[in-house]
Parts: sequence; structure tokens; C-alpha cells
Amino acid sequence: MNLFRSEEHVERWLGGRPPGATLGVTTLAELAQAWWADRLSPAWRPHTRAQNQAILDGLGLTGPFWRLPG
Amino acid sequence: MEERDLRLRNLTYGLFVELGRAPAAVEVAERAGEPTSEVEAAWRRLHDAHALVLSPGTPELRMANPFSAVPTAYRVEAAGRSWYANCAWDAFGICAALHVDGRIETSCADCGEPLAVEVRDARPDDPALLFHCLVPAERWWADIVFT
Repeated sequence: MNLFRSEEHVERWLGGRPPGATLGVTTLAELAQAWWADRLSPAWRPHTRAQNQAILDGLGLTGPFWRLPG
Repeated sequence: MEERDLRLRNLTYGLFVELGRAPAAVEVAERAGEPTSEVEAAWRRLHDAHALVLSPGTPELRMANPFSAVPTAYRVEAAGRSWYANCAWDAFGICAALHVDGRIETSCADCGEPLAVEVRDARPDDPALLFHCLVPAERWWADIVFT
């Protein structure tokens, strides 16, 4: 899960491997906020699969690549 | 997840933030007033529940996600301290977990050019950068260190 300067750099790094998913870093920041904001709360409890899937879905990260294991 | 394990987990995370590095089991045990063996047993259960990650074959922390116990390519400065993150997602996650602005120092995974991202109000200052996730979500925990 890396950062890149541009799409050209992603493609060169892949070197012919099948690509995963590429996001803009603003979407990544939104994902991180939703995923990790409660991590240091004393009331933290493990997220359920449904909670995490809802986070992904809410950011438009849908389809087979973003489907968490059941 | 039992309340006792959650308490030790919260102490572990609190010490990770306080120290700027992963605590040893003995440090968590001292803070908790518990035997080190109890902390190690709790960490094993938390590892199995994906609530933290131990180094293979050891009782030592490898990740308290989003924090990394070992140096990585993602260093985060925030609130006057610094930590390593496990990946780009986790680097933003450290700022999110701390609820503070911060600075992520890394490099382009392709060309190695240094990249510095200022995070202000949970947003990056350079929206042109890209994030690539190679592993599909269903396999993230199959090898979390690789992911």
C-alpha cells in the first residue's frame, strides 16, 4: 500500500503485474479517517466486517476488489 | 474480546503513543500491574483477533495498526513526536487516530523521490499523489506485513 507521484509511476512499479486499485490521496485520507479515527478511544471495540465494508462502500470503494472476507 | 484483553490492548496503544515506539510486554505489564506472561498471553489472543500483530514466533509487537514497531518507509510526525506507519494508509491513520495534523515523510515507491505530505484538518496538501493497493481486500490479512 504505497504512494506514487503519478499513474505513470504506478504502472512502472507494477512492471506488468496485474494492478490492484489506485486512489487519489484525498480519498485515501478520507478512508484513513473513517477506518482509524476511533483506534485510540478508550471505548474502542473491534469493527465488525459490516462496519468496515460500510466504510469502503461509503467512499465508493465497491466491487470484488474491495469486498472483505465473509 | 474480553474486557481484560481490551484493557491491556488500550494500555499497549497508549504506551505506543507516549513512547513513540512499541512498548515491550514488560513495560505494559508494569503499567498494568500484571505479570508479563499475562500481557504476552493477551497479545497472542489480540493477534489472533487481528487487533494487533506480533512478529512471527515471538512475543514482540510488529504492528499496533496503524503504528509500526519497526522502521518503515512511512514516517509520521505529529503532536511533537514521530512514529513509523505500516503503509501509506496507516500513515494517514496515525494522524486520524491522534486527531491531529501531521507530516508524512516517505518516497515514491517507484522512483524513490522523497515525498512529504502535510496533513491539515485530515486532508493532504498535495492531492495529486496517488495511492496503490495491490492486494484485494479479501486477502489483506493473509499476509498483513506484505499487504
